[in-house]
Amino acid sequence: MSAILETDDLVKEFGGLTATDHVNLTINEGELLSLIGPNGAGKSTLINLITRMLEETEGDIRFEGESITSLTPHEVVQRGIGKSFQTASIFPELSVKENADIAAFAAEHGSFKFNFLTHRDSYPEVEQRTLDTLEAVGLRDQKDIDAGELPYGDKRRLEIGIALASEPSLLLMDEPTAGMSPEETEATVDLIEELQEEMNLTILLVEHDMEIVFSVSDRISVLNRGSIIAEGTPDEVQGDPAVQEAYLGGVEL
Amino acid sequence: MSDEVGTPEAEAEPETIDESPSLYERWQAIQGDEKTVAAITILGVALAPFLLVTLPEMLGFPRSYSWYHSLVTLTLIWGIFALGYDLILGFTGLLSFGHAMFWGVAAYSAGIFSANVTGSPIAMVLVGTLMAVLLAWLIGWISLRRGGIYFAILTLAFGQMIYYIFLSPLGNITGGENGFNGVEVGKLLGMVELGGAVPFVPPMFVDSWMYVFVGAAMVAAVVVGYRILNSPYGIVLRAIRENEQRAEFVGLDVWRYKLMSFILSGAFAGVAGSLYVIQRSYVPIENTLYWTVSGDIVVITVLGGVGSLFGPVFGAGLYMYVANIVSGIPVIGDFWHMILGIVFIGIIVLMPNGIWGRVDWVRDRVADALGGDN
Repeated sequence: MSAILETDDLVKEFGGLTATDHVNLTINEGELLSLIGPNGAGKSTLINLITRMLEETEGDIRFEGESITSLTPHEVVQRGIGKSFQTASIFPELSVKENADIAAFAAEHGSFKFNFLTHRDSYPEVEQRTLDTLEAVGLRDQKDIDAGELPYGDKRRLEIGIALASEPSLLLMDEPTAGMSPEETEATVDLIEELQEEMNLTILLVEHDMEIVFSVSDRISVLNRGSIIAEGTPDEVQGDPAVQEAYLGGVEL
Repeated sequence: MSDEVGTPEAEAEPETIDESPSLYERWQAIQGDEKTVAAITILGVALAPFLLVTLPEMLGFPRSYSWYHSLVTLTLIWGIFALGYDLILGFTGLLSFGHAMFWGVAAYSAGIFSANVTGSPIAMVLVGTLMAVLLAWLIGWISLRRGGIYFAILTLAFGQMIYYIFLSPLGNITGGENGFNGVEVGKLLGMVELGGAVPFVPPMFVDSWMYVFVGAAMVAAVVVGYRILNSPYGIVLRAIRENEQRAEFVGLDVWRYKLMSFILSGAFAGVAGSLYVIQRSYVPIENTLYWTVSGDIVVITVLGGVGSLFGPVFGAGLYMYVANIVSGIPVIGDFWHMILGIVFIGIIVLMPNGIWGRVDWVRDRVADALGGDN
């Protein structure tokens, strides 16, 4: 397996606080790597560094062998790193289909195109990609309703759909089941497994629900106070004393 | 996900389909078409002078309360301005408070060009629009680095800067506070005077070539506006309005799309500003570059309904009526700004989506009555 994304001694400091402390993370092609850790461990900071929402203090990030630290967020997406947000980050007043269309246009046309006088209907490949995406997340029948009117679970699925329509080779999923009912959670977990198998997607998953993490992950990285304290298969991580220390604060069981 | 009634699967079952399309469906099928939109606009533009000027006169409506031909022309000019402004305010969600500069710089450019090079109305529009586009490019490039209130203040500041530059340092070219007097509007295509009557068309419909010229620009503006809204830009701009961060994270260069939207709206303002000078044969600084013009265009667009294609044109009509007719009525005319304010509040309260929002609402009710499903 070859590495699709590597971080190289990545450091991010906010004032005196080191949120990311010399992190060397490697994600291999085709795997599902989960990033776990207690609140404030620096998971979001790490994700934001990869998506270029934040500027690193030191270190390097390489995607498919090339440094991406000089890119802007939309350029990173165009390279092939997609992100689904923790909240249902959709376009509420647009129809479900238009939501997916936007991502499909971005994927087919790149970050910008000078085509303001061309009718949208003249891009059948965009239309096809939109419909495929909606099919994949099971929202094809709801394509004409306003996205804002979907139930919460469907909004989250649409959110994942938007991320998928841009056809990423690496998908960053920030707590995809946060706020979902047990049924919705189950459906989302099924979706994640499907994506990985059928689309051969590499996924970096940030998740609090340990049951999900241990069932879907190929590998797990544990973050605490900005640095990686353990890495390995679910079984290896589960038995690691440093992990138990971090989560339980050294309480004797 | 569950087996409750009303799941998508259940709805997707083929139901008994009514074979003959309802009136509503037939209307639906044609109304989305560009040619239909152009035809409706042509019809509207052609009938406006008759409906607003001639008909009230025939019905004995008092002269001092009714429209006159050049006011209909002026409404169309402001309508073009507002249509473009809605691209940035309604569709992209950016409040620009400096659009007077595009309208005004186009007006001065067209005017000065006519005095020094040629008075061809078409050339004047092209030059004015080009200058507005170049200015919008520059101002947008700087101002769009900030959003929200900062963007509004930056555009306002640049607008005022240009106002003062034209007022004083460039005073010997622009005429300073007296405005530019040397406008020389020539013949259209070298053949017809804009002020002259149109042969074979009774003046009760169209009084002059000027109206034909402005009307043609209005139709072109609507068609181009319609095209933009139905191009990928139509949804990309709305996506930026709704959730800018998400738009960035599907891989769109949000900043460049915003800049394009700003430039396009500057181009409409440029066309309108140039036409304004052609109609008036004079460039008054207080009606072109002064900041109140930036305020007027916001009011007009909101009155008509932000986020709609035709709405702003109706907003322009209402505004022009109050500013030019109501203001001339004895006694209450002195309070026309206050009357406009009351109208504005009334519309905001009663029709939150502007005049066009109410038209849409009525249309939906009619559609229901005609058997439409939604």
